[in-house]
Amino acid sequence: MARRYDSRTTIFSPEGKLYQVEYAMEAISHAGTVLGLLAKDGVVLAAEKKVTGKLLDLSATKEGGYGGSGEKIFLLSSNVIGGLAGLTADANSLVNFARTAAQRHLLAYDEDIPVELLAQRLCDMKQGYTQFGGLRPFGVSLLYAGYDPHYQFQLYRSDPSGNYSGWKATCIGANNGTAQSLLKQEYKDDIEVKDAIGLALRTMSKTMDSTTLGSEKCRRSAVEFAVLTLDPVTGKPKAKIYRPAEIDLLLEKEGLAKKDEDTEMKAA
Amino acid sequence: MSIMDQNGGSVIAMVGKDCVAIASDLRLGNEALAVSSNFQKIFPITDRIYLGLPGLATDVTTLKERFRFRVNMYTIKEEREIEPETFAHLVSSTLYEHRFGPYYVEPVMAGISKTPSGGFKPFIAATDLIGCLNYAKDFVVAGTASSKLYGVAEGLWEPDLEPEDLFETISQTIMNALDRDAYSGWGCIVHVLTKDKVITRTLKARMD
Amino acid sequence: METSFAITGKGYVIVAADTTASRSIIKMKTDEDKVKTLSPHLLMAYSGEPGDTVHFAEYVERNIRLYQIRNLYPLRPSAAAAWIRRALATSLRSRSPYSVNLLVGGYDTASHDPHLYWIDFLGTMTEVPFAAHGYGAYFALSLLDRYHDPEASLEDGLIALKRCIRQVEERLVVTPGKYKVKVVSKDGIQEIDL
Repeated sequence: MARRYDSRTTIFSPEGKLYQVEYAMEAISHAGTVLGLLAKDGVVLAAEKKVTGKLLDLSATKEGGYGGSGEKIFLLSSNVIGGLAGLTADANSLVNFARTAAQRHLLAYDEDIPVELLAQRLCDMKQGYTQFGGLRPFGVSLLYAGYDPHYQFQLYRSDPSGNYSGWKATCIGANNGTAQSLLKQEYKDDIEVKDAIGLALRTMSKTMDSTTLGSEKCRRSAVEFAVLTLDPVTGKPKAKIYRPAEIDLLLEKEGLAKKDEDTEMKAA
Repeated sequence: MSIMDQNGGSVIAMVGKDCVAIASDLRLGNEALAVSSNFQKIFPITDRIYLGLPGLATDVTTLKERFRFRVNMYTIKEEREIEPETFAHLVSSTLYEHRFGPYYVEPVMAGISKTPSGGFKPFIAATDLIGCLNYAKDFVVAGTASSKLYGVAEGLWEPDLEPEDLFETISQTIMNALDRDAYSGWGCIVHVLTKDKVITRTLKARMD
Repeated sequence: METSFAITGKGYVIVAADTTASRSIIKMKTDEDKVKTLSPHLLMAYSGEPGDTVHFAEYVERNIRLYQIRNLYPLRPSAAAAWIRRALATSLRSRSPYSVNLLVGGYDTASHDPHLYWIDFLGTMTEVPFAAHGYGAYFALSLLDRYHDPEASLEDGLIALKRCIRQVEERLVVTPGKYKVKVVSKDGIQEIDL
């Protein structure tokens, strides 16, 4: 009987549910964790990427591309970085849409797109896929870390249904419940970026499968990391997506770095 | 009165030794009436490319915004900055798209391009209003004072000028050419680009 | 002849426009308000082809209002001006372009400073400390070159405006008559009776 209501996104079940949308959210709860922290003077994003094996060619991403955008954290606009959890293929198409939407706003109004407006643009599209038939919803949740002159630093989260909400600290993907409750305990309203970086990484290390973190290579899990602050000289938002080497340095500072005697390394 | 002379304004770019310079006036007029003395017509595209857009001011603004859109999308997708040669073709094809109803602008660009061996090479180019590219080894000019700029530049420019000497040459060229053009003037701005930095100076010019 | 002025000062922009609505050489109306309030901190004076002016001003007014309803906060002056400019630039290459000249003055509540934009029917836009459209511009701009002070109080700003108006009355063959004067500052918009 249930089969009748979950093959299409557009049809409610007798209990009033949209099964395909809920399945999409379920898919995301198995994806790599992405967490965001809003600080007084910036926003921090951290993401877990699941590297599938040592044969995967990472030579292109090793150095990090423009601003070091990686697998899960992308620059969406000069004032917004996005952290994505879910299907990578769907995510790529959403990232492209977000970037175009941001540039269209810049073209029309000669100003960077307000963060909430960018979240709205994506959610309008995501919502469309829960209502118009024949298609499946996007299997992607996003965190938006951004800055605009209206509300300064902001952090938003959106899910496949097209809902979005603003947060001080939040998490999407696997173990997001654990991370969320950790963040709830540790978060302080007047936290600064330098402390937020530590908190983000510590929370990350507790939610991930392995106890020590790294940035790269044949480890089962690795971290991506980004910070949005204001450039002290120009006063404009400055996104920094950390390169693998810089992440290792950060982890070392926080005492979370991997040890030399890594079991997996040895096995390999 | 040509539509190209509606708002006035001029731009010049010059090649030096491992450096380039680009300069413009700052006037915006409505025919003979001056409206603004701080109308920028040179725009940074990347840290190593500057674009000058003399011509009809409405198209200057429209094109500046369109190029910003295209270059931002290029940078973010390609994950690297655009090279001057590539950008020149972007300018050219954007203008030629409007072959039979053109933007009334004659772009001038100056940049430092990367060579395959890892070195740097100065680059300047200009196009007409429908995007015909003109690469030059010495200097390019455009705008209402272009004929005067040609004359002075022809006399002052010499090859292999160091950044500071190139700054002096381009400054003297534009200041003296502008004095003979009623539609350009009201201050000048000069940018000198080298492989690792940009020197920007505004010149104290005649304000009449 | 249609004339509009705008002057920035310390924390405010004065926007003024004459109040005549004319058709050819005939004055049809002498109390027309040609300064529109686009948002709580944004003013726009418009002049040009009758018909085009009112239609375009209302089109702008409603689009700016729509943005405010959708997003809960209004566009900043710079963003609003850029959007208006784009509308005119697009219109220029359409079958029937709008012939409307604008002065857009606003107070930016995010950066706490006044902004003034001079825009003509071609879509030419520039930010200026003072501006004028129409025949009055030929008198006002040179006067304001001499008397404008970006740090002037509102009283001094209005004195500069009166200077411009008096000069136009004295020297222009066809004087526009009365003016509508509005000021935008951090406290919003107020109308001033000269």
